[in-house]
Amino acid sequence: MTDRDIAMRHRSEVAVSVELETPGMTLNIGPQHPSTHGVLRLIANVDGERIISVQPVIGYMHRGYEKLSEVRTYVQITTLVNRIDWVAGFASEVPYIVAVERLMGVEPPERAQWIRLILSELARIASHLVFMSSYPLELGAITPLFHALRDRERVLELIEGVTGGRFHPNFNRVGGVKPAAGAGKQQRGVSQDIPAGWFAQTQSTMERIFGMCDDLDTLVVGNELFKARTVGVGIIPADRAIEYGLSGPNLRASGVPYDLRKVEPHLPYPEVEFNVISAESGDCHDRYVVRLNEIREAAKIVLQAVDKIPSGPLVAKVPRLIKVPKGQTYVRGENPKGEFGYYIISEGGQKPYRMKIRSTSFSNLSILPWILEGQLIPDLVAVMGSLDFVLGDVDR
Amino acid sequence: MTSKDTPKDTPKDTSKNIRFPFPGLFKGLGLTGKYLFKKPATVMYPDEKEIPVPRSRGVIALDTEACTVCMVCSRACPDWCIYIEGHKEEQQPEEPGGKVKVRAELDRFDIDYGLCMYCGICVDVCPFDALFWSPEYEYSEHEVVDLLHDKDRLTDWLGTVPDPPPLEPS
Repeated sequence: MTDRDIAMRHRSEVAVSVELETPGMTLNIGPQHPSTHGVLRLIANVDGERIISVQPVIGYMHRGYEKLSEVRTYVQITTLVNRIDWVAGFASEVPYIVAVERLMGVEPPERAQWIRLILSELARIASHLVFMSSYPLELGAITPLFHALRDRERVLELIEGVTGGRFHPNFNRVGGVKPAAGAGKQQRGVSQDIPAGWFAQTQSTMERIFGMCDDLDTLVVGNELFKARTVGVGIIPADRAIEYGLSGPNLRASGVPYDLRKVEPHLPYPEVEFNVISAESGDCHDRYVVRLNEIREAAKIVLQAVDKIPSGPLVAKVPRLIKVPKGQTYVRGENPKGEFGYYIISEGGQKPYRMKIRSTSFSNLSILPWILEGQLIPDLVAVMGSLDFVLGDVDR
Repeated sequence: MTSKDTPKDTPKDTSKNIRFPFPGLFKGLGLTGKYLFKKPATVMYPDEKEIPVPRSRGVIALDTEACTVCMVCSRACPDWCIYIEGHKEEQQPEEPGGKVKVRAELDRFDIDYGLCMYCGICVDVCPFDALFWSPEYEYSEHEVVDLLHDKDRLTDWLGTVPDPPPLEPS
């Protein structure tokens, strides 16, 4: 819907409400509003404090990654895909690289898969910690931010220690993870395996994460003011959530224990023990609690994986020039925000013919007009924040 | 599918949930008190600096001696921010009658850090050990054009390249 159409619609609605002598008001929220996590614009039709309808306008951060991928080689696309959802860069790399590997018929070695698993879970913790900090902030509580971001920094340090990048690791290679620092004689010998002391550092950081989760329990979850703002607000029933294509913690908070790590694992998730966290009522409070408990589960997975990681090579034998045979595939993975998938069509050669990105936040955002209908304006921020979307992920 | 068929909750009066004095307020204050006397986590940047990990991708250093102007890095770069120019130079044979050697000389090697995505593909593909990552990060500029580092500036970074970290025994 173009801006012109929206303006026409509002004009007609204003005309109707003048007849009924209850003039509505159009409230334009965003695109630059701190609670929108980027540049989301909401055109809300309000009647007093009550929202009659809301129209999200997206596309302010469209970077055209699907089109850009068509003119880049498979190796170069890895740098693009970790910029889609930047708070969990590593997690969005993995399904892409698995898709390319499946098309090529390459099986990554065990150790590479476990490194991917550990780093994906660290990315999940980092992503959820951003939510843990920003959501109470949007509701007016600033203290949890310091606790959550302090420990997120440690998690990012762990990711940086292995990959060299905090946000955009670009550590996956077709057939495994980055094996060496370079391709020259000297650099080829510099392995990019886990550096010494990293496992011990990970274990101590995970212990801190458990402690910090308990702190957040005290600070946020049991807090009366937080409960007053979130309990019973923005309830998404399970059938609605499924109809709108919600995934990840948003879906699980509505009582659907659906986790792609259990359903369709492409990393060694069956070998670690973890619970799928779900809640029942599907309100904002449940969405917060589900994510908080998911941090604990992710930390447990990391601790188990650190004990279980096998030794071995980092990358399978792949040709130097990555050429993918003709074919198509769709691979999805459990991103911190939900189902993240890549549909790749290859016509053979070094570049994909077409790549469709199924980004999580786009689908999660689609429920906004329905869920905000009839809510109060102060609840708008509470509902919007609880869905935990990133606009880079929405607009791609 | 319309949005009307599922009955929606009407916002409830949640003000009854709050009772005074809020225990949550004192719990929060207690937690803040617990952290009050701990060592601060903040690094006061210009006065004290964090030491980046050795693998940190800060800036790319260039070894001009090793570079053979093969253009592999420039072609592999996803946003084409490496500019390379060179020319062929003939080396006269040391003994008369010997073969004339042709050597490529590097004239220009610029990396535009205003465009660079710090992906590290150039360092990955370099077949002659000419590019290295350095964890240095303090090279912000007032003008965006100054982010274009030329050959000499990239060579200066070579001294800051750390030794690779030891690996976890496996």
